[in-house]
Amino acid sequence: MTSSGRPLPVPDPLSAPFWEAAARHVLTLSRCSDCGTLTHPPDVVCDACGSTDPRFTATPVDGRGAVRSWTVVRQSFLPGFADLVPFVLVDVQLVDPALAGQPDVRLVGRLLDGVDAPLAAGAAVRVAFEQLSPDLAVPAFELAAS
Amino acid sequence: MSGRFRARDQVAIVGYAQSPVTRHADRSLGALTVETARAAIADAGLTPEQVDGFVTATLFPTSGAHAVVDGVSVVSADWLAARLNPNPRYAAGFSGLGQIPGSMALAVNAVAGGAAEHVLVHRALYNPAGSYHDTGAAEFRGGLQWTAPQGFFGPLAMMGMTYTEYVQRYGASREALAEVVVEARKNGARLPWSHWSGRPLSVEQYLAEPMLADPIGRLDCDIPVDGAAAFVLTTAERARDLPHRPVHVSGYATGAPPRRRLPAHWPLDDLMAAGATTAERLWASAGMGLDDIDLVQVYDGFSPLVYLWLEALGRCPVGEAHRYVRDGGIDSDRPGADPVLLSGGSLGNGRMHGVPQLLECYLQVSGRAGDRQRPGVTTALSCHSSPHLGGALVYSAQPGAGV
Repeated sequence: MTSSGRPLPVPDPLSAPFWEAAARHVLTLSRCSDCGTLTHPPDVVCDACGSTDPRFTATPVDGRGAVRSWTVVRQSFLPGFADLVPFVLVDVQLVDPALAGQPDVRLVGRLLDGVDAPLAAGAAVRVAFEQLSPDLAVPAFELAAS
Repeated sequence: MSGRFRARDQVAIVGYAQSPVTRHADRSLGALTVETARAAIADAGLTPEQVDGFVTATLFPTSGAHAVVDGVSVVSADWLAARLNPNPRYAAGFSGLGQIPGSMALAVNAVAGGAAEHVLVHRALYNPAGSYHDTGAAEFRGGLQWTAPQGFFGPLAMMGMTYTEYVQRYGASREALAEVVVEARKNGARLPWSHWSGRPLSVEQYLAEPMLADPIGRLDCDIPVDGAAAFVLTTAERARDLPHRPVHVSGYATGAPPRRRLPAHWPLDDLMAAGATTAERLWASAGMGLDDIDLVQVYDGFSPLVYLWLEALGRCPVGEAHRYVRDGGIDSDRPGADPVLLSGGSLGNGRMHGVPQLLECYLQVSGRAGDRQRPGVTTALSCHSSPHLGGALVYSAQPGAGV
């Protein structure tokens, strides 16, 4: 159990580069070596080109996004969240210029501004990281000045 | 490829049984299911030795840490067959969402293809002691590593985000969603087998309940129950010799999302895009459109799914279902309305997944709905799960050509 008491991701060969970068508070997406499309999360076959050997590379993105949706979690079923409820989860479409012209990439994470922060569809956010253990951080979001 | 189902109306439902729907049954789920299956087989005028096919879907829809134990928390086709007619010609389980359309499709195909003559389709739902979704997991692997450590976990947050999109886009009010739940509970209160039997709900009671994952409140979710239901299927030809009026399966369709997404991430656009495709496939399969259907029963495990099915099926324009409901559009007591929750649904029965919708279609088309029988129901449609990951079935009183 970590100091936060929250559950941890267990990296696997596909996800390890993402979590290594996240530990340095760098958000990465997975770029297919065959077609160059960025995706999240990586999968065994590239969604865009069908490559069965996509050799994904963890590619840093700037972490800006637009809120597509949200919810206020008032009852969490996970360990380590009892003291955090109520909290906001946001569904974020990343808007890094590198994603122009390709299918949307969406992340879901906590909005660290709290439940009273003003939210609307399209609100600008940027990635932040929650440090769950000395060598592991997970992405979350903060409202960004528009 | 016309999309026409070649076995259209060639296979029929000829009998059924359902256990009481209770918070916790007085016996194990396996025992409850064996009793229910025996009753369904007898209802069809058959004996267990004649049932040579068994189909189900065993999904235990918890995100929690409950054990999956055959005969205790789930009941597989093999488990049930072993206790009714061991080593049947056909036994199969559907593994996707939309377990009712999915398992009914397997059964219909097995009968139509001659893999079995009499197929029992059952669904057994279990309510474990303690919290349904709680987990103490300290680690997550696979898909959940991308969501659970961030706090995104379980179906409440999933539906909360989907429904926020709907509310933001179309201005649906909490009072409109109340009408969905009140309608389900009104109809469920009239069912002797329902957990909510005799217990309708008022709008005021609904609005007084707390939010769990805004804008999803406590009564927007169906309540976990123990319950089992079973249906017997055979050929339309064989059905003519059995005691009850057969209800033929005209066609079916299941969906698939247009994009791979994070686990339990249901963007509204994904639901509606795939839902429209599901509906198109359904009409092509069954050879009917919405206007040809006398009774439509939509899925309501989460109340907003009623809006999304109404819109996916084309009953209202996209974004209009909340107004349709507020204007009395689904009120089963209003002449001319479309009583899509006549079954009580999951909100008015308990977490029986797509069983109430299938059961209501069967009862009304076969003329077995008793005091609740509605006149002139010769075609029907039942939905299950979401428009993008679930599916739907169409039924007809008339056998297909050549029968």
